[in-house]
Amino acid sequence: MKLLSARTGLLITLILLFVLGLAAFAMQYFDSAPAWVEHPSNRHFYTDGKLSNLGTIYDRGGKALLQMSDGGIKYNEDPAIRTALMHVTGDRDGNVETSISSVFKSDLMGWNWLNGAYRFNSEQPTGGTDLTLTLDAGLCAAAYRELRGRRGAVGVYNYQTGELICMTSSPSFDPVFPPDLTGESGDYEGVYLNRLFSAAYTPGSVFKLVTTAAALEQLPDIDKRRFRCNGEMEVEGNMVTCPAAHGELTLGEALAHSCNTSFARIALELGAEKLQEYAERVGFNSAQKVDGIHTIPGRVELAHAGKAGLAWAGIGQFTNTANPLNFMSLVGAIGNRGLAVAPNIVARRGFLPAASAGAKKRLLSENTAEALAKMMRNNTIAVYGESNFKGLELCAKSGTAEVGEGKKPHSWFAGFLDRSDYPLAFVVIIEGGGSGSGSAAAVASAVLHRAVK
Amino acid sequence: MDLFLDRLSEPLDALMTILAGLGINLETLTTQSEMIGRFYTLAIRWLLPLMAAVILLRCLLTLLGEKREKTPWGYLQLPSGLRISITRWENLIGRGRFADIVINVPTLSRSHAVLTHRHDAWLLRDLGSKGGSEVNGTKVEGEAAIDYGDTISLAGLEMTLFPAGIDSPQQRHEYDPDAFVSAERTANHTTLALILLFQFLGAIQIYLARGAAAPALPLIFLSFFLLESLHYVIIRRYSRRNLVPELIGYFLCGLNLLIVASSSPGTLLKQLAAILIGMIAYTVIIAVARDLDRAHSLRYLFIVAGLLMMILNLALGKSHFGARNWIDLGFISFQPMEFVKIAFVLAGTATLDRLLTTRNMTAFVGFSGASIITLALINDLGTALIFFGAFVMISFMHSGNIRTLFLFLSGAAFGGLAVVIFKPHIAARFALWGKAWQFANSSGYQQTRTMIAAASGGLLGVGGGRGYLVSVAAADTDLVFGMLCEEWGLLLALVAILMIVFLAFYAVVLTRGCRSSFYAIAACGAATIFILQMALNVLGSVDLLPFTGVTIPFISNGGSSMIASWGLLALIKAAE
Repeated sequence: MKLLSARTGLLITLILLFVLGLAAFAMQYFDSAPAWVEHPSNRHFYTDGKLSNLGTIYDRGGKALLQMSDGGIKYNEDPAIRTALMHVTGDRDGNVETSISSVFKSDLMGWNWLNGAYRFNSEQPTGGTDLTLTLDAGLCAAAYRELRGRRGAVGVYNYQTGELICMTSSPSFDPVFPPDLTGESGDYEGVYLNRLFSAAYTPGSVFKLVTTAAALEQLPDIDKRRFRCNGEMEVEGNMVTCPAAHGELTLGEALAHSCNTSFARIALELGAEKLQEYAERVGFNSAQKVDGIHTIPGRVELAHAGKAGLAWAGIGQFTNTANPLNFMSLVGAIGNRGLAVAPNIVARRGFLPAASAGAKKRLLSENTAEALAKMMRNNTIAVYGESNFKGLELCAKSGTAEVGEGKKPHSWFAGFLDRSDYPLAFVVIIEGGGSGSGSAAAVASAVLHRAVK
Repeated sequence: MDLFLDRLSEPLDALMTILAGLGINLETLTTQSEMIGRFYTLAIRWLLPLMAAVILLRCLLTLLGEKREKTPWGYLQLPSGLRISITRWENLIGRGRFADIVINVPTLSRSHAVLTHRHDAWLLRDLGSKGGSEVNGTKVEGEAAIDYGDTISLAGLEMTLFPAGIDSPQQRHEYDPDAFVSAERTANHTTLALILLFQFLGAIQIYLARGAAAPALPLIFLSFFLLESLHYVIIRRYSRRNLVPELIGYFLCGLNLLIVASSSPGTLLKQLAAILIGMIAYTVIIAVARDLDRAHSLRYLFIVAGLLMMILNLALGKSHFGARNWIDLGFISFQPMEFVKIAFVLAGTATLDRLLTTRNMTAFVGFSGASIITLALINDLGTALIFFGAFVMISFMHSGNIRTLFLFLSGAAFGGLAVVIFKPHIAARFALWGKAWQFANSSGYQQTRTMIAAASGGLLGVGGGRGYLVSVAAADTDLVFGMLCEEWGLLLALVAILMIVFLAFYAVVLTRGCRSSFYAIAACGAATIFILQMALNVLGSVDLLPFTGVTIPFISNGGSSMIASWGLLALIKAAE
């Protein structure tokens, strides 16, 4: 009989295989159940393929942004708020993949892991789970207005708590009166894209922050060094130029005047490997999630860049791209003494506070962050003009990203307020906006002044 | 006053929000009875999964806590004075690793002889050993009877067989079954009480939700409670060991009735009748199979009946959801292949001496061939897969040969390829595997609806009788896992599945102390069928395996399936 009992090994294997299969199902369930329940055939939530009821999406001040009742979607009554937050609420047809109503659809429908579609009174649908966002709708509307129809995005968040208080993306439209998007005017190209989350742009000079961070930690005595700028520099037959000869500069001055030749030199001295390492450390090449909403990562690939490529990369002009939200987290980390707090957008789910708030990750050492902050503060005072940012204690860096012959450069402005009452970090990107310290900085100034009011 | 109300309204609002978060909306309540029903569901959906988990745990603990007394049936006395106790009915003697009586003398073969206890007598069968075997100086050709005191010589090594003695505990059990009442028994009582309470609470839930559709429901459930209690009392009278398999059977039957009450309350009575017949069949099989010789006659009876069923199916089979596996005799309709499962497992059994000498599997191979051909003809792919899996398992129990195992599996791969080539509709089904969501409203309809239902139930379910999957074809049979998840919650569904997994595991445990390899093979064969059915049903209905449309033992709606499940459970229990 021992013989047969040894042969039950095959049955034990079969049992284990089945249990593994069951585990695979459980994993699939915990991965996809929210998506499964959203299917329009689900009669727990849909009547004749139409959602019968949804929870309400509120902004941080309790303004209702989107409400669904009796099969109809109700947006906020202010068209400016509707338009500015179209990428947050989503349009009527669910085209914005990163919108709250798409990503949190199952929550809004009233589904949750524990209770499923259970409701106490099955005759009447409950309102679903309400979501309160960290966003300030008025601020978002103001930011959208400041973009004045130019393509781009604005983001502002609290770098200590991670709360995203302002976010808007242009172009947008009023979801109550959706425009005819079938035409080929091009005005609405990529209109469903939330440019803060789902776009990546050539960073231009804002990338010099990354190069500076690497230099501060990797090149000894960098803060005592002097750079000499003749207005141009040749790297393997390739000319790196500055608008004018900057003369002799410290690192801080080079950053303030965004001196290309100095940063090309620093990049070459660092080497591709180190610069790559620092870029990845501060968030390039890895996607970030904001409460489960996917964002597009910025890219830095220097392995086959060559010397000229490396020099250009150091000033943000090689093949590098940066995602606005990720870049905002980076400047937020500088403001928060090197500690990055993950941005979040959902403050409360129903009566429960959202669970995911504020995961912390150290991006830079405290010393490096402080040195960078000091330089960024100096940028404002020396170049951008303190009078434009009165009382904000602004630390910032601009970027004017060249995107090709005959095209206007992208305009970047990113930084943070060195204020304990308003620990805000921000990013502004305007496609083809021209000078960063010009157009993007103006938008930032208006939005930030409103934010601290 | 208004000010007071204003002040009160804030905490009240907060309370309402909290209640709404739990799924309660007080404003929408209408009548009092609805209110009772709703509050009942609210409480019960937390309580039932917990109770189910406790029941499973208690079954597990009963098994773990069981003291396995190895009571000897006799002794072999070696000239050296060493006494070897014989604890089984079938003992392989040799110097091999898997011998039950290991005698490490180089002249002995690895598998030298088999000592069998049958008809209150001992038999020695030589397995064609090099050194040969003798009883009282006479060479054993094939088989020889042995009396106590006889001298056995294995390759020259002499030993004497002695009885275990009248004072041994084993003998006492033979004469007085009640002497064996132990703590395990009382544990069984509590578990049964828990199961009854679980079913009672579940029945009330269903009645509150679906009472209007099934006025007979309370009576049906009441009869069921009586039936299972009565069965328990009878079985307990005659069982020497714990009643875990029966208890699990009762629990699963209760779930079955809860499912049927929700999906087709009109067939509740029929299902209750099937449970009754199943329990009777179970009791008869274990009573008959207790004696190995009677078990053998039972085997032939079942094989003949199985063949008849197959012929009947081929002649009269009616199509139902694609497979021609139904027979309608006017007054009764059933699925013959369900019963053939029991015959199939019995056809594969063999006692150890036969297993090690003749290695004759002709009857089994013949029966398997007939079954597979029948299933191919009636187009029942799912059941064919189950039979094939059981065939592989039983063959391996016979041969222990891993190479043969691979041979079978590669044979199956070829066969599968042939099926895919020559039966395009089956190929189409396999092509869809894993892509149910792409064809959510056509060929993936049933799978996607199962997944939607399962997800909609959450961990605790929406409440018995309150699901929507019931409106999909085969919801209470092929998609029953989805129904369980939707109405009773993922936790309860998983516990129910684990109960059947536990039964299969129990079969493995029983094999270790089994009296005869006949029972061991039967138990493992039945367990294999249980596991394969569950795998194809559960994983098939959620698109992790091809969807073939088979039932979950006990839980799925269907009389034939219910009776066959009890029959297979009897084969596991018989191994005790």
